[in-house]
Amino acid sequence: MTQPNTLATNEVDLVAVSVAGVVAHPGFPGLPAEPYRLASDGTPFLLPTYGGIVYNVSTGDRAFGWAADCIHPGVSIHQSDDNRNRGLNVFACIGNRARVMTGGAAGTTGVVTGKSGRFSEQVIVHIPRDARTRMAVGDQLLIRSEGIGLTLTDHPDVSLKGISPGVLAALPAREEDGQIAFGVTAQIPAHLVGAGLGLTSEGGSLHMQSSDRELLAELGLDRLRLGDVVALEDTDSRYNHGYLSGARAIGVVASTDGPRAGYGPGIAILMTAPAGQLGSFESPDANLIHLLELDD
Amino acid sequence: MNDPLRWNFDQLVEMAVTGQVSQPALRRGGYVHWPNGVGEMLPGMHGITYNARVGDRAFGWAGDHVEPGVSIAHSEERADYALHYLSCIGNEAEVVTGLARGAQGVVTGEHARLLVDFPPDVLEQMTIGDTVQIRTLGRGLKLESHPGIEFKQTSPALAQALGLRTEGETLTCPVAMELPPRIMGSGAELNAEFVDQDLMSGDRALMAELGIDQMRLGDLIGIRNVDHRYGRSYREGRVAICLCIHGDSVMTGHGPGILTLMTGPADALDFDMDPTANIAHSLGIRGSA
Repeated sequence: MTQPNTLATNEVDLVAVSVAGVVAHPGFPGLPAEPYRLASDGTPFLLPTYGGIVYNVSTGDRAFGWAADCIHPGVSIHQSDDNRNRGLNVFACIGNRARVMTGGAAGTTGVVTGKSGRFSEQVIVHIPRDARTRMAVGDQLLIRSEGIGLTLTDHPDVSLKGISPGVLAALPAREEDGQIAFGVTAQIPAHLVGAGLGLTSEGGSLHMQSSDRELLAELGLDRLRLGDVVALEDTDSRYNHGYLSGARAIGVVASTDGPRAGYGPGIAILMTAPAGQLGSFESPDANLIHLLELDD
Repeated sequence: MNDPLRWNFDQLVEMAVTGQVSQPALRRGGYVHWPNGVGEMLPGMHGITYNARVGDRAFGWAGDHVEPGVSIAHSEERADYALHYLSCIGNEAEVVTGLARGAQGVVTGEHARLLVDFPPDVLEQMTIGDTVQIRTLGRGLKLESHPGIEFKQTSPALAQALGLRTEGETLTCPVAMELPPRIMGSGAELNAEFVDQDLMSGDRALMAELGIDQMRLGDLIGIRNVDHRYGRSYREGRVAICLCIHGDSVMTGHGPGILTLMTGPADALDFDMDPTANIAHSLGIRGSA
């Protein structure tokens, strides 16, 4: 396990609240008249996409190369009512404990590892593979929501977004000249930030772009793994996501790549700062499976 | 040398679609937020905008996503999609109900609603709910002499007004401004046939440095290293020619709306600078430059 940090926070002031969702059924808008989505080059494709119980893709696995469109690893949950779903999506924090409350895997404990944004709006939960085989669509999961309102006492210019105190404490961190920097597996340049720009940064996700495969290979970004902590350069995610020179956002890779333009892996944003107050450094093991010692 | 352009105009089908002048609407809560979180209540979208017109500035309004002219929509979802997808920039519009019945306008943009320009004296006669009919023409447009270039929402009238020039295999379009791909934001989640992609104006120092804050509604815009065929994404060696359709925004990830007109590989599609490249002039909406 990575050496945890001892950064001062207001954790003692946080309120822990329950939020719940049920395992989402995969959806397929447009069927039967139009089953296809279009890849960035216009090629029609029909592939598994977000939602449901995913048996063979887990946090820690590769984010690229699946025959799929932005798959959520593990189990995805939602609420059918929009207002309640927003409560679930915003209040569930990455690293929060989830518990299966109904069905064949009742009592199993998991961890929130991601969220998805516009058009899906689900919360992604890591549940051990064996327990997944006993679950059903519609099973209820309860999350101990804890992390909204979290601040870094000595770094007030860093805005924390949907990160649990446990994940924050587990991140490799360095303080230098008033700046705080966190360990990441990769840094993504601003021109490769995609779908999610201009949309809310409270909940949801921000996708990197993956149409230019040669560039991704050159930058090594096609080796990203689900659960990797990554930095987005020149990205201000305080109130919506957008370009700002000197800003930085740090998030966790929450869903796989897909063929559509603008929809590379989805990233659940954990923190941001507008003007150089947040840095990042290379840390190849900065992945949720190591940071939280997730069971397979 | 200027080789002749061979268009497929004789293949295009012309159809009527209608929409009604929209009532301004706000979300519950109403605030839009600046990048530092400060909330503000601002007009701009929907309705009849009396004092912001194609050719006017895109920045500096006390408004958010200011839609020039008249914003129309259809209340039935599928009919509204037809209004969105079939209408092309430069299509003719006509008021078919109300006091301004018979007045002629021009499609100048597609946002969450369709944006139509009418002369100021016509706006004075119009009201919310008036029906505007558009003669849609342009979907399926091809430049047969340059098959590598794809067109979106470009009417034959606009195609002929852009001042396109050819040199060998390359088609060049005059544009008023070039944008760097790293500031292309909200709309990255949508397909490229639908509405626009906002440039992200949150880096105000960059806007001033590159002169982007001088942009005008109706300006032609060039972007290198983006692919706008099916979605709008970064890809080296490709080019998009676009149009500024709505005004700036205070919200992070937003800014003036940039609507795709053409996209293709850089060896087939290029642009050069002409500060007057604006549809207010080239379509004769506000007289020639």
